[in-house]
Amino acid sequence: MTLSGQGLSVQGLSVQGLGKSFNGRTVLEGVDFSVAAGELVAFLGANGSGKSTTLRCVMGIASPDSGSISIDGAALETLQGRDLQQARQRMAMIFQKIHLVPRRTALDNVCAGALARIPTVRSLSPLLFPADVQQEALDCLDRVGLADRAFDRVGRLSGGQQQRVAVARALCQRADVVLADEPVSALDPRAAEQVMALLRELAHSEGLAVAAVLHQPDLALRYADRSIGLLQGSMTFNLPSTEVTADHLDTLYAPDRDVSDRDVSVRTPSADRTTAA
Amino acid sequence: MTPRTLTPAAARRETTSTPRVALVRPKKPLRWITTAAVAAAVVGLHAVAIEGTDFKPELLVDGWKGMAAFIGDAFPPDLSWEKTLKPGLEATLVTLWIGLLGTTLSVPFALLLAALAAENTSPHRLVYQAARAILSFFRAVPDIVFALIFVTAVGLGPFAGVLALICHNTGVMGKLWAESMEEIDAGPQEALRTAGANRIQQVANATLPMVVPQFVGLLLYRFDVNVRSSLVLGLVGAGGIGLLINQSIKSFQFDSMLTHILIVLVLIIVVDQFSAWIRRRLAA
Repeated sequence: MTLSGQGLSVQGLSVQGLGKSFNGRTVLEGVDFSVAAGELVAFLGANGSGKSTTLRCVMGIASPDSGSISIDGAALETLQGRDLQQARQRMAMIFQKIHLVPRRTALDNVCAGALARIPTVRSLSPLLFPADVQQEALDCLDRVGLADRAFDRVGRLSGGQQQRVAVARALCQRADVVLADEPVSALDPRAAEQVMALLRELAHSEGLAVAAVLHQPDLALRYADRSIGLLQGSMTFNLPSTEVTADHLDTLYAPDRDVSDRDVSVRTPSADRTTAA
Repeated sequence: MTPRTLTPAAARRETTSTPRVALVRPKKPLRWITTAAVAAAVVGLHAVAIEGTDFKPELLVDGWKGMAAFIGDAFPPDLSWEKTLKPGLEATLVTLWIGLLGTTLSVPFALLLAALAAENTSPHRLVYQAARAILSFFRAVPDIVFALIFVTAVGLGPFAGVLALICHNTGVMGKLWAESMEEIDAGPQEALRTAGANRIQQVANATLPMVVPQFVGLLLYRFDVNVRSSLVLGLVGAGGIGLLINQSIKSFQFDSMLTHILIVLVLIIVVDQFSAWIRRRLAA
């Protein structure tokens, strides 16, 4: 397996020169990376470093100011209308807050991943979903190990199970590229391990290109093939996870320490005053 | 002070007399002025309102005898089956049916208008504004006015009442439903949009299933309100128990009036308990 695949037209996702600013403040600048098919890439960085914005720009939820996004070598900015829509549908997103409908069954939620392939009239109620879509959704649930919970309401599943249902929904969308925005931040450690193992398995054994924004460096280094560090909107490293060192991680989270230093300095005068009193 | 051993927590409490951080609330002088201005405005508004409504409690004190005579005439309630109870119960059922149909038959209209009048589900800004305007119109015209209009078309009777409630309830329930859709978590809808679902598919598979409990709760609340409204509609000729109450007052049969009011009281309690029971089942 190739770990670099930088900039070339690879199978999978390729992003070049991504830039974005909000109200004149630069949040992303010159972000280049690629996620090859069969590879799990982790994005690391402090709050506000631009890792979620990167995913949202790639997904089309936010619109980047500059940059080029390609899937299997086809640049999205050269596509229009139906072609663009179909290219976008090859990417699926996994959310931190899971975003399933709790009152519906796991199966119905997974079927919703296929809505783009279902005629509008047949998508007005789960009772009308085509039988082949329902069968495919059940297969997707089986791939995440939850076929036996297909007819349970999602609200009755645990957080980890819910996130696996969300992964199944992405599979039912027939996505080749899966973007996960802090997929395990709301989960307990064991569920987090399960979801990360699932994402790695989907990349390695099913050939998906998976990019995950993570807040836990140890999870990233243990599960991801490659880790990308973002600091204030720019990439600081893009390395195989085995080559990422403690120094690399320190640079990412150093700004956080500055903030806490400042907090202490703000508190100091009042502390002085009370000890003097 | 007697010597004693302290647990670490107790020791920490003992030392709170010398605080580690001084408690100094930041002074906000403008806040006092704002509070005083708001208070003055509220008092002023009430003074004007009291003037405008001829609000004179002394009239109530002076006139208590008239009220007592009226209520005294109503006791004991007339419980004769043929003359009062039977027609009262029958008319109460009509009132209930008016409230029921007025609520359920407005559901399709309210649902459509709510989906068009909620920011997160409306297809276009213009549609949104138009749907809001239609809902405002149906809400602004009181159900009694609708009843008077429909009476001229379909004549006196319960049917006019049902039509009136459908119109008014569409306006109110559509507004309430639109608001509950706007308050719902937008995440599932966004997730389906990124999966390539069109607007109708997003609404049918994320927004609507998310708001079902709120919708049913509001529907039951409106049923409760509409049953009480259909009482009042009876006064303008839409049939039901309201009509009987009106007739018994006009013919000075206050004991019959009291019986009808007691029946209404039971009806209202039953409807209220019923909707509370359903809402509990939904929440569970």
